Amino acid sequence: MADRRTFRLMLLILGLVFAFLYIPISVLVGLSFNAGGMPTAWTGFSLKWYGALFANQDILRAAGNTLIVGLVSAAISTVLGTLLAIGVEIRRRKGSVLETLIFAPMVIPDIVLAIALLSFFSLLDVRLGLHTVIMAHVVFNLAYVCAVVRARLKSFDWSIVEASTDLGASTLTTLRRVVLPVLAPAIIAGGLLAFTLSVDEFIIAFFTAGAQRASITLPMQIYGMIRFGVTPEINVLATLVIGFSLVTLALSQRLNRGGLPGQ
Amino acid sequence: MTTLLSLRHVEKHFGHVRAVNGVSLDIRQNEFFALLGASGSGKTTLLRMLAGFEALSGGQILLNGKDISHVPPNHRPVNLMFQSYALFPHMSVAQNIAYGLEMEKLPRTEIRQRVDEILATIQLSALASRKPEQLSGGQRQRVALARALVKRPQLLLLDEPLGALDKKLRGEMQLELKRIQHQFGITFIIVTHDQEEALVMADRIAILQHGELLQCAPPREVYEHPANRFAAEFIGVMNVIPVARDGAKLTAAEGSLIRADIPDGMGGDLVAAVRPERLRLDAHACENRLSGRILATAYHGLDLQVHIETPAMPKPLICRVTADAAEARSFRTGDVLSLGWSRADTRIFAA
Ligand SMILES: Nc1ncnc2c1ncn2[C@@H]1O[C@H](COP(=O)(O)OP(=O)(O)OP(=O)(O)O)[C@@H](O)[C@H]1O
Ligand SMILES: [Mg+2]
Repeated sequence: MADRRTFRLMLLILGLVFAFLYIPISVLVGLSFNAGGMPTAWTGFSLKWYGALFANQDILRAAGNTLIVGLVSAAISTVLGTLLAIGVEIRRRKGSVLETLIFAPMVIPDIVLAIALLSFFSLLDVRLGLHTVIMAHVVFNLAYVCAVVRARLKSFDWSIVEASTDLGASTLTTLRRVVLPVLAPAIIAGGLLAFTLSVDEFIIAFFTAGAQRASITLPMQIYGMIRFGVTPEINVLATLVIGFSLVTLALSQRLNRGGLPGQ
Repeated sequence: MTTLLSLRHVEKHFGHVRAVNGVSLDIRQNEFFALLGASGSGKTTLLRMLAGFEALSGGQILLNGKDISHVPPNHRPVNLMFQSYALFPHMSVAQNIAYGLEMEKLPRTEIRQRVDEILATIQLSALASRKPEQLSGGQRQRVALARALVKRPQLLLLDEPLGALDKKLRGEMQLELKRIQHQFGITFIIVTHDQEEALVMADRIAILQHGELLQCAPPREVYEHPANRFAAEFIGVMNVIPVARDGAKLTAAEGSLIRADIPDGMGGDLVAAVRPERLRLDAHACENRLSGRILATAYHGLDLQVHIETPAMPKPLICRVTADAAEARSFRTGDVLSLGWSRADTRIFAA
């Protein structure tokens, strides 16, 4: 009997935790369908704010910018971060460690990194724009991708690299046919992480995007709008972002499961 | 017989550790050669140098008379079967085996044919599409062997290939390896620290100690005429009896005379050595004799190992007799037993 009661109690706690996590989000999703648009009163179901959102050129442009920054910086940092992780692991096996240096961008506060990047760009006289946001995002994404791939490398069996060489493969062939496929789940996970981090990154983008409206990203756009209160359009936007994130999450899990047996 | 591989004063130093120390060897075409030695004696290091994974600190490696010391591993007609098997986890059994042939840029049809052929040889055709993680230890081992063999290297190196297998499977695989070696006509160098395995499989055995070559000879020679006391005790079981020398006369500690041929130029403290299975119960008919009390008997199925405490030796004397011999059934702990052996079975070593 006692067991049963403990079990019920645990279920209750679990329920509360989930409620705590998801009630705010459901409220937001619900409000995005509120015809009246005021958070204080429900006045009926409507899709009109969705229509309004898609008519808002500023928001669409910002979403487009965010997608570009996310995809390009994720792609670049996945390639560089993977190679970096492999290189560092090889060096480490030979006894020299430079790990701390790589992970610094992960622990340095974003605001510091943002100021540093801005000063750096202005020192070099680089015109600010989307390209500088991309470069800045690569800087911190690199560290995350590298960390994810390195975690997988810790359990990597290096004798398969020697086996590949022994069977006649060049270093490049070994990388392409043995190392990368075995690391694939970690590389994909790192890439997705980089993408999501980049999509909701605000501070660094804010500092490095410059003054033009053309290089405003989604978080910056939302920040600009929210200064005049939470509009129904923001609820709609947030709902769409949640949907997008859920699809990405499901996709990455699917990939990892259906992926290669790399443990 | 032609020489396939020559090692000339091969050296490998890791810092101040001399892992391989001036090893010179000739290995013949089609030979089944075993490298034997205690843990840390340099077996793996030597093998990895032959495969090309460790640079030489000194000396030369010649294959068919050509110096290959500086040829990288992917350009040597030599393959290594890894101790951990090192199968590619993301490839099927067939893909693992085909990999080395793909590196040779062979036509697809030939690759498929050779893979099928070798899968049949190792009796794994039914599992061709499985991933390594879905195989048993013995099956993985056979895939690793096939992957190296399918390239038809001039020389196949095997690092403790049977290390992960249980005793019964080991025995089967030992015969299997010999059969495959014979069928393919490839020179095998196998590393093992299991002396019995080396005796069973090899045409010749090299014993390494602290990176140095101690002895290199056929199994019977190594067993019957070990180069020194270390080799004698390393291969099989050996009874070592400290003896005092007076000219050509040797006496054991409790006074009995040991008759043996003393090799030329041997000085200092000596020991006499005799194998357990050369000890006989009809001591009166033998040239050498020792007696003592039975400490324990161990039944091994085919034979019985009797441990005998004798004042002549610091350690118990070990004697092997056929288990169903009439006398063997009546042995009891504490019984006094007299054992004899012939002069021809006695070896003398520096202590
Ligand atoms: N990469 C290395 N760096 C430093 N020392 C090494 C290295 N590899 C081997 N050694 C040393 O060289 C010696 C020989 O090692 P090796 O692995 O060849 O021994 P082994 O005969 O294969 O032993 P085992 O039977 O335990 O496998 C050991 O003392 C070992 O510590
Ligand atoms: Mg070893």
